[in-house]
Amino acid sequence: MSDKGTEFFEKFQDKMTKVIKKPRRNYFNVKNEDLWEISDYLFNTMGCRLSICTATEVYDGLEVLYHFSDDTTGIYYNPRVKTGLKNPEINSITPLIEGANWIEREMYDLFGIKFKGHPELKKLLTINNPHFTEDDHPMRFNRNRTKEK
Amino acid sequence: MSKCRIPLGPFHPLLEEAEFFDIKVEGEKVVDIEMETGWMHRGHEKISETRSYTQSIFLVERICGICSTSHPFAAAHAMEDIDNVEIPERAKYIRIFIGEMERIHSHLLWLGLAGHFIGYDTLWMWTWKYREPVLQIFEKVSGNRNHYAMFRVGGVSRDFDNALIPEIHPVLDMLEKKMLMLAGAVKDDPVLRSRLKGVGVLTKDDAINYCANGPTARASGVDIDVRRDDGLEYDLVNFDVIVLPNGDVYDKMVVRVLEIIESVKIIRQCLDAFPKVGGEYLNKVKHISPGEGIGRYEAPRGEVFHYIRSDGSNRPLRHKVRAPSFSNIPTYKASCVGIPLADALITLAAVDPCYCCTERSIRVVDKNNKKLEHNILTMSREKTANLKKVVAGSEKTPIDRIFED
Repeated sequence: MSDKGTEFFEKFQDKMTKVIKKPRRNYFNVKNEDLWEISDYLFNTMGCRLSICTATEVYDGLEVLYHFSDDTTGIYYNPRVKTGLKNPEINSITPLIEGANWIEREMYDLFGIKFKGHPELKKLLTINNPHFTEDDHPMRFNRNRTKEK
Repeated sequence: MSKCRIPLGPFHPLLEEAEFFDIKVEGEKVVDIEMETGWMHRGHEKISETRSYTQSIFLVERICGICSTSHPFAAAHAMEDIDNVEIPERAKYIRIFIGEMERIHSHLLWLGLAGHFIGYDTLWMWTWKYREPVLQIFEKVSGNRNHYAMFRVGGVSRDFDNALIPEIHPVLDMLEKKMLMLAGAVKDDPVLRSRLKGVGVLTKDDAINYCANGPTARASGVDIDVRRDDGLEYDLVNFDVIVLPNGDVYDKMVVRVLEIIESVKIIRQCLDAFPKVGGEYLNKVKHISPGEGIGRYEAPRGEVFHYIRSDGSNRPLRHKVRAPSFSNIPTYKASCVGIPLADALITLAAVDPCYCCTERSIRVVDKNNKKLEHNILTMSREKTANLKKVVAGSEKTPIDRIFED
């Protein structure tokens, strides 16, 4: 790992849990309230680029994995934020990184995660689809369950 | 001056694919642009969860019809990243060969379209003429002109025939000669210069803030290239990363022309290596252990990103796909504002957008929860038969109906 990476892990040691370090990929869990600070450090201080975020539904909630790419070394830093299945909400990083705008809108569309502080949180991909209402989030497992009741 | 709103799309003769732009203009100047997407859903992320790993690779190949090998490339990298699978050296060279040939034909296609958009149809006809031999080489190497099905976890699915090398060299010589000629023509032509120079500038700060990638970022002075940064296969070959400072449409065009020449250089190195590097071309992977993997590849349009989460079964638990255009299309907000409307169209085309890559994640399910599956070939034949009936009979033609409405 590069010097920048070692410094980063030392600085935020207390705020990370479940750290998985591979030669080129680093995964770690962070809390929702620490996300802004860590993203700010990765984007502005270390010069990483936000590739994309991956939202996944797992048994105990929803999780969002942010993929920050350090293009000088080819190393990925992936902070993971967890949220509950009911009323999922995560702080938005769009005011910090303009490139996160569409990424967060896509996750809101497909998974229903609300991003607090997003300037215009609306659907991205299914906005024109007549099959989907505002409450439909097609990548969630229980998409049709509320409707049937 | 009062503002005027110009809707462009979703289906418009000027656009290649279905997308909607809401352009606000003040006089002739663009003051704001909004984009809406969502006409091209096919649902690859969801379908991929129901397919085995090998099937997933062939599935993601169908995301894009032009850069069709970049998605399998990244997906294979993501699957190999979980277990750190080593691939044989010959497979690496075959992967580079296919990837670079595709870069040539994709850049030539864009160059033609860019010429077409600014009314320079000679350039369009030239470049598409030079693209044809490249597709013919693909047919000889892989058996198909566009979907090559060459990728597997741990290598490639079929070997490269060394007897084809003498046939490929003349095509590369021709391409290099013609590209140098085109580069000269583009640089010297006063009409092209005045039409493209200083138009649709994306500054370096904007490119970084919008997380742009690929030729769009490189033309704005951001030095990123996944081939060099990740270096999994591309450590074997030498090439230069083309970076230009200005960020206008002209620089984006020059970056692509010069990248074609670099690709020719890389393919020559592969062809020199094929007779020397023998042996296996597939390291058979029987099982993928639980874990997470990230794979990426520098497609002609930028960085393709795949994330795969495995639970130890033969199917991915989550398969995330990010095409380069997803990051590049939002840069319109920075590059289109403040320029005349006539220049906006070539600026919109300059990032080489691919909408069917950008929108790929919904599977259509009807009200009764049944999958809607249509046989497109049958539908197409029915449509043609209906059209023939209309034209042959006494009924009015479709064109007459347009005027009635």
